[in-house]
Amino acid sequence: MILRLASGSLFARALTVGMTVLAVSLSVALFLGVEKVRTGAKASFADTISGTDLIIGARSGSVQLLLYSVFRIGNATNNLTWESYQDIAARPEVDWIVPISLGDSHRQFRVMGTTPAFFDRYRYRSGQPLAMRDGATMSDLFDTVIGADVAATLGYDVGAPIVVAHGLASFSEHEDQPFRVSGILEKTGTPVDRTVIISLEAIEAIHVDWQSGAQIPGQSTPVDVIRQMKLEPQAITAALIGVKSRLQVFGLQRSINEYPQEPLLAILPGVALQELWQIVGIAETALIGVSAMVVVTALIGMMATIFSSLNERRREMAIFRAMGARPRVILGLLVLEAVLMAAIGAALGLALLYIGLLIGQPFVDRAFGLWLPIQAPTLREVWVVLGVVAAGAVVSIAPALRAYRMSLADGMMVRI
Amino acid sequence: MKLLPCLALSVLAASHIFADENRQLDAHEHGVGQLDIAFEGQRIAMELHAPGADIVGFEYVAESAEDRAAVDAAVATLARPLDLFVLADAAGCSVVQASAELESEAGHGDHHEDHGDEHEEGKHDQGDHVAHESDGDHTEFHAEYLLNCADPSAVAVITFAYFDVFPNALEVEVQVISDTGATSFEVERDAPVLDLRGMF
Repeated sequence: MILRLASGSLFARALTVGMTVLAVSLSVALFLGVEKVRTGAKASFADTISGTDLIIGARSGSVQLLLYSVFRIGNATNNLTWESYQDIAARPEVDWIVPISLGDSHRQFRVMGTTPAFFDRYRYRSGQPLAMRDGATMSDLFDTVIGADVAATLGYDVGAPIVVAHGLASFSEHEDQPFRVSGILEKTGTPVDRTVIISLEAIEAIHVDWQSGAQIPGQSTPVDVIRQMKLEPQAITAALIGVKSRLQVFGLQRSINEYPQEPLLAILPGVALQELWQIVGIAETALIGVSAMVVVTALIGMMATIFSSLNERRREMAIFRAMGARPRVILGLLVLEAVLMAAIGAALGLALLYIGLLIGQPFVDRAFGLWLPIQAPTLREVWVVLGVVAAGAVVSIAPALRAYRMSLADGMMVRI
Repeated sequence: MKLLPCLALSVLAASHIFADENRQLDAHEHGVGQLDIAFEGQRIAMELHAPGADIVGFEYVAESAEDRAAVDAAVATLARPLDLFVLADAAGCSVVQASAELESEAGHGDHHEDHGDEHEEGKHDQGDHVAHESDGDHTEFHAEYLLNCADPSAVAVITFAYFDVFPNALEVEVQVISDTGATSFEVERDAPVLDLRGMF
């Protein structure tokens, strides 16, 4: 009965109620959206590397090493000499080691030199290996395997020719040694999707006629000659390591960090990621704070509309009283109306969020490489929605109490 | 906030004493130790590094009988890991191997000053916080443990009695690696408990 009264009363004031509900729903959608992006970003970062025990590179910061070696964000301060690499590779604790050489690019995508072991050893999303969508791994010196996004953006198929550019944003290209796409990887949702993978020897091969970052004029070694050359790298950017026994990880890490011949750094990917979260955490908290304030503002706006509606509903309340409604019923009616508004707002907010996700998901993935999963609301989100409804009830108590008191004092007549 | 301990950076010390090509020193922060824990199967490997200042209160070479006794006692204490890092009885852990030693940072024992007293004063002047160039006269205790546990997943919480035993220790930076990956924690004197639930 009272529910019908409340919903009827809300319908009667459809416009103001609608605006209030809209404000609540937008604020809820914003709050949950921020939450989704936050957890999505965290998960997609954490899913990027798995199964690698240590990452080694030149001594810098652990977060920096993680960012440039795994996420291709930023650049290495220094390279890692091939001698040190081989020295570490020969250590008894090392089960496998995969070198990574960065620094060249193809269009907007980075080129990574590595060994075929990369395809076996690199794991993402709790141990999932890389899979070929098309073609095969490199079999020739000038073969390349490209990530799914590279293929999709540039429209490459297996067999397509590729010219690698020197450096990351440069016009000088390694034109005399074109590559051929030999394989395209399955989409992974990691930076591998946006990487052009070539062999370590190929990185050396395209730099044969280069010195100090520029091509030696007039000199162009024929491809046949390059194929005959011993293409051993001088230096690499970083290396991924798997150890034989987990019990040896820390010992190996310490000895690499104390490696006397070259300043090296070995990091545990999980620990470095956690350091990264500590840095990002402040901004995260600020974002959550701001979006929570938006929810609070919307609820206060709802309180204001209820307050302002009290005057125009004085006569209505007085009629209820005359019909035998107790003052408590008046109070309950107003709180119920507020709860209804908040609940509709929150539900609409959830709907908005999922519509937004459906529309925005491919775009966010393309633009930022961030995969936002569309899942049923988490427990935390359910609590947020319930919290908004409860908060709606709480803020309505003040105007409801006022109505309660007024309905005791007011008669049928409205004095003007 | 926690008392900011004297920080001796790993400076490439521009000291004439070092004629070698390679000059590097480890970071060394008084009050802060490092503990690495690795879980594999039924075995747990732990490695502790703690500044001499935390364990015995000084970092000069122990020459008096009293100081030597303190170092010996500390090494003996550090060789009993289950008294320092208390594991749940349900895990059924026993020590397979434990070793502890005192190591000097760069082995320049002949060039040391008495840093010990300076660091122990509760209140520092601003000037004392300056990261001073170390000539390598910091010492560190290093201990390695190998435990065997009937049920390692029952090691959900580790209580750090370490802080009760060594009153100068303020914090331990913990790195843990298990089946679920690697992560890090900070265990402080105020809350000497390491919660490893979620690591199994």
